[in-house]
Amino acid sequence: MSTPDVQAAAARWVDANGECLYRYALVRVRRPEVAEDLVQETFLAGVRGYEKFGGRSSERSWLVGILKNKIVDHFRKLGRETSFTDMEFLSDEFSEKFVSVGFWDHDKGPHEWKPEPDEVMHRAEFWQTMRDCLAKLPQKVRDVFTMREMDDVPSKEISAILSITDSNLWVMLHRARMALRECLEMNWFDKPAGGTA
Amino acid sequence: MLVKFIGKHTPKCREMVRIVSQSMDEPMPLIMRIKKRLHFLICCWCQRYEEHLRYIHETARKFPEHADEASDITFPPDAKERIKQKLAGQSR
Repeated sequence: MSTPDVQAAAARWVDANGECLYRYALVRVRRPEVAEDLVQETFLAGVRGYEKFGGRSSERSWLVGILKNKIVDHFRKLGRETSFTDMEFLSDEFSEKFVSVGFWDHDKGPHEWKPEPDEVMHRAEFWQTMRDCLAKLPQKVRDVFTMREMDDVPSKEISAILSITDSNLWVMLHRARMALRECLEMNWFDKPAGGTA
Repeated sequence: MLVKFIGKHTPKCREMVRIVSQSMDEPMPLIMRIKKRLHFLICCWCQRYEEHLRYIHETARKFPEHADEASDITFPPDAKERIKQKLAGQSR
């Protein structure tokens, strides 16, 4: 691709994908100026590596992939430790769902969810609900969950990046999934306007 | 009688939900995978719980590409222009 072509493509990328990349970066790092920098680095890396983009995925998927790596690098540079305050936040929140011997209380166990993943992909309301549910998680628990489930970083690598033990990581992921499952059930699947409509 | 036997020899639900979550991050030993399957035979709630976690896994990994639908925060126009200029300079 010639230089003017790359320039035109780059400007088009920013218009077509800038909002998406920025909003995802903001969900992850929470600071607008850091999110802007990460998006800029993503586009610059995209221009530099355009020759490697073989069109096997959509441009957005390719750019999102670059952004995810930039976000992981950002957390790696921060290299912070996770406080236990966040872990205590969810410690016994769902204990009422189990009877004393450790089995589910049948009235409070998971409900049946109807829609398949493909059905919700085109509904903005679902993604807004997921964002709201994520926002309810304690910050560090959310960082661990998003790194694992959204950025697809192996669990061992997350432990190293965030300087936490594997067992702490599993506890945090378990609690994040349990809280997110509960929130989605209450705010999407159990609502008439949600997935069961 | 079989239900009681399985209930006695597999982890309780409170422990099973933790195992289900961990199995999404680490390979489980064979014996634990068998216990999980046996437990699911007598517990539709734990089985459903695992289906829900897999659902969340599938949708969560799609979230980044739908982030523009999840929020209405605007990418600052001046930042957008600045990036375009930077990209134009970079590709010269």
